[in-house]
Amino acid sequence: MDKVSTTEGGKRMLLQANEAIARGALEAGIIFAAGYPGNPSSEIIETLAKASHDLPIYVEWSVNEKVALEAAAGASFAGCRAICSMKQNGVNVVSDFLTNLSLSGTKGGIVLVSCDDPGGISSTNEEDARAFAPLSDIPLLEPSSPQEALDMTRWAFDLSEAIGNIVMIRSVSRLSHSRSDVVVGGLPDFTARPYFDTQVPFHTFPIITKHQARHEKLKAAEDLFEKSSFNYYRGAQRPELLVIGSGCAVDYALDAIQTMNLWERVGVLKLGTTWPIPRRLLLKHLQKCQHILFVEDVDPFIETHVKAFAAERAQELGLKVFHGKGSDELPSCGELRPAQLLDFFGNYFNLSWGAENFTNKVETLINGRIPPREFGFCPGCPHRGSFYAIKTALAWDDRDGFVSGDIGCYSMAIWPTGFNQLKSVHAMGSGLGIACGYGKLENFGFEQPVITVCGDSTFYHAALPALVNARFNNADILLVVLDNSATAMTGFQPHPGTGKTAMGEPTQPVDVVAICKSMGLDVYVGDPYEMKQTAEKLYELMQQRGPRVMVLRRKCALVQGREGGFPYGMHVDQDLCIGEECGCGRYCTRIFRCPGLIWDKEKKKAVIDQVICVGCGICAEICPQGAIKKELK
Amino acid sequence: MEKELLEGQVRLVNEVIRKGICVRCGACVGLCPYFQYHDGKVVVADRCEAGTWRCIQICPRIPYERASLYEHFYQIKEQPQVLGPYKRIIAARSAEMQIRDVAQYGGVVTALILFAIENGMINWAVLTDRGESLAPRGLLCNSREQIIACSGSRYTASAALQEVNLAIKSGKQGIGFVGLPCQMEALSRLALSEPEGRERFSSIALRVGIFCTWALDWRRLRSYLEAKGLTGIAKKYDIPPPPSEIFVVETQDAKMELPLSEIRKIIQPGCKFCEDMTAEFADISVGTLEGEEGWNTVILRTDKGVELFDRAVQAGMLEEKQLPASNLDHLKEAASNKRKKALQAREEGEDG
Repeated sequence: MDKVSTTEGGKRMLLQANEAIARGALEAGIIFAAGYPGNPSSEIIETLAKASHDLPIYVEWSVNEKVALEAAAGASFAGCRAICSMKQNGVNVVSDFLTNLSLSGTKGGIVLVSCDDPGGISSTNEEDARAFAPLSDIPLLEPSSPQEALDMTRWAFDLSEAIGNIVMIRSVSRLSHSRSDVVVGGLPDFTARPYFDTQVPFHTFPIITKHQARHEKLKAAEDLFEKSSFNYYRGAQRPELLVIGSGCAVDYALDAIQTMNLWERVGVLKLGTTWPIPRRLLLKHLQKCQHILFVEDVDPFIETHVKAFAAERAQELGLKVFHGKGSDELPSCGELRPAQLLDFFGNYFNLSWGAENFTNKVETLINGRIPPREFGFCPGCPHRGSFYAIKTALAWDDRDGFVSGDIGCYSMAIWPTGFNQLKSVHAMGSGLGIACGYGKLENFGFEQPVITVCGDSTFYHAALPALVNARFNNADILLVVLDNSATAMTGFQPHPGTGKTAMGEPTQPVDVVAICKSMGLDVYVGDPYEMKQTAEKLYELMQQRGPRVMVLRRKCALVQGREGGFPYGMHVDQDLCIGEECGCGRYCTRIFRCPGLIWDKEKKKAVIDQVICVGCGICAEICPQGAIKKELK
Repeated sequence: MEKELLEGQVRLVNEVIRKGICVRCGACVGLCPYFQYHDGKVVVADRCEAGTWRCIQICPRIPYERASLYEHFYQIKEQPQVLGPYKRIIAARSAEMQIRDVAQYGGVVTALILFAIENGMINWAVLTDRGESLAPRGLLCNSREQIIACSGSRYTASAALQEVNLAIKSGKQGIGFVGLPCQMEALSRLALSEPEGRERFSSIALRVGIFCTWALDWRRLRSYLEAKGLTGIAKKYDIPPPPSEIFVVETQDAKMELPLSEIRKIIQPGCKFCEDMTAEFADISVGTLEGEEGWNTVILRTDKGVELFDRAVQAGMLEEKQLPASNLDHLKEAASNKRKKALQAREEGEDG
């Protein structure tokens, strides 16, 4: 199969947009790439990490997004091209540095890629990271196809160098994870040699001068945007409705127009360069008609800025009627869906697009075959054991204790799979930061014990400062590090504890326990599979004061599965199982809820789903009848 | 469904556990995964939705007809006199110095259990251990060392009925149980409970009750003692006879006298509803003999109790003597006071 790193220019490849972004960066001649994993962005660094085996580039998973961009900026300051990728939340983490970096300016081309997750399909939030472009006065590009993702990325480095500032690219889940055939360009010879010119420092002073310069850079970018082929118009010369939009949303509009045969009546201005908005281009097209529809994912970004521009130029443009999120004709939340645009056009032009046919087709295809599924930990997942132990310890303690957490697979503990134990989830590391607050409320009569959880990758990413804070201010917190030795949720990228870098090189693992000890914290290591012992230790720690740490260490079940699997074969002795009777009440399937345990409706007994069960063996401990049996395979 | 749930675990949770009047007898623990005993407390680990509810039928804090127990165990219809039905009441002590040395008073309970085990009247004893960093808890045992190690009063509840439930579940027969009046009540209610209470109760071969005025909340006792600088396992707790008004705690390296008025503040709230001081639903009930250090008051209530006691005396394990009339009067007065207070508390509780 063709590789992103070696395929010759001019060839056609089937590429996911994230791979296309990586290829675009390679074609631009980057030598440096850094990022932090997060859906839907992770494949960019993963693709480049693979490419590093063939090409003389450096790729790293950084400890967090801010450090990633800082590292990339280092390469830029030394005159080399660098890319930095993350999901929308990462841009928040980056933001302090970003708003400073855009003042100091950059040297080698540098591109920040934010892959936003409309609908928050695999996120703690729904956020439009495009807002950071105007906030930082940096140019913003939005691809709408894998081909454009490649071309735009390659060009973004030229743009960055042309204006001397960082450029932002915004993708969305639907694009990042779409594949289509892409014609690739040629690869350069990667001859860049980093050198920092000590005569040219990078800082933000004098601030007002630099701020002024930043605006001028932006103006220069706008001039280039006016001629950019990433912006184009398609459709009727005198349309009844002008659609302006970016990204996947434009493709949905194009499809809808095609489906409803509206090319005679509708025009589409597709924008690929969305900050600053190309005003001359807009002026030209806004004159075409009175009714304007905005299509874009998440916030009314283009909509707001075009409306402001139209207000400024109202004398020339006349009165406009705007349709979109602002008029409530398109939803302001959630991922934009093609059907919503079909519905809009249907209503607007009083046409039917045959929604029923599609619905019927889907129903015929599915035909009740999709069972309802709730979010759940995988069979064998150590988090199930950890939260069972936490649940038990909190119940024993009986002072209305609770768990404060953050984002990771373990966030699913807000649901029954984690016994609904998690009572707060926000940003990376926030569970511990919030606990620092609870941990200082004792003098006001707060008696509820608080356990806070974070994953191992999160520990390094953002929990560390909060832990130092807890130590510094002597907060009453019990931190449980759910150490599954993987950045599991995003796809097993290496992190500082794994002893391996993004490029696969061995490195000294950063030891969570040693870090905690060096802060003078008492640290205990437990095994999530030993649920009773773990609960007993947690209970003991809950009776103590000050900052305390327990590390619950067990490999992610998926990693364990790849590395040789699990030792047990499980079965339920149905003669012992008492099912719904008093004394059990379907404890294993109703409370413990491992997907490997299922309910035999006919016999009214529990049974192991041998396809799902991995054989971790921990459910044997919870059966009140001892009916769940484990035997070494 | 809703109504059914309200008759199940939810009722026990709402009317007993949430109200804070659970006396930690342990009757509901060990039957299922939903109630657990840990460090002096019975807690709700998860919510049960089962359709049959043994827990409700045996909890001594869920109101029930006490007359049904008198009728079942003693075949009497009217409320008996204040010490409950009995055949004989005497003073006694263990004949062994080794037992008396570690016992709370006269070591009668320890001696009786040892004798019952050694003579095959019971195969197992469920007693209450001394606890370590955590609260005392039930112990299923059958060796002399274990039985002697469990001697002495704890002044806290131990949920030892959990061990009885587990022992029955594992098929043990011939179980002797030593417990407080609330535990004897719960165990006796088991005999009347559905669906298989009678069958499960048949595993119980001996019930030895301990006199009890109230029990302390273990977790609050521990914090109270820690605040006074007392940590580690207490060797002995004692309340010397009135008018001393003190609570004595002996640990490995300290002995401290604490004001009883402070200790009374950490009595389990559920104890105030208990009307039984002398464990009326036992084969034998044992308590202190006020005014005579090293002796017990012993109430023999059933034929089985009389037989065990007499055989132990004949075998030279126990020494007995007549109970002074003044002690009997005083015991009746104390028992009567407890009953009156409990009935008053229940009326107030119901009014409230």
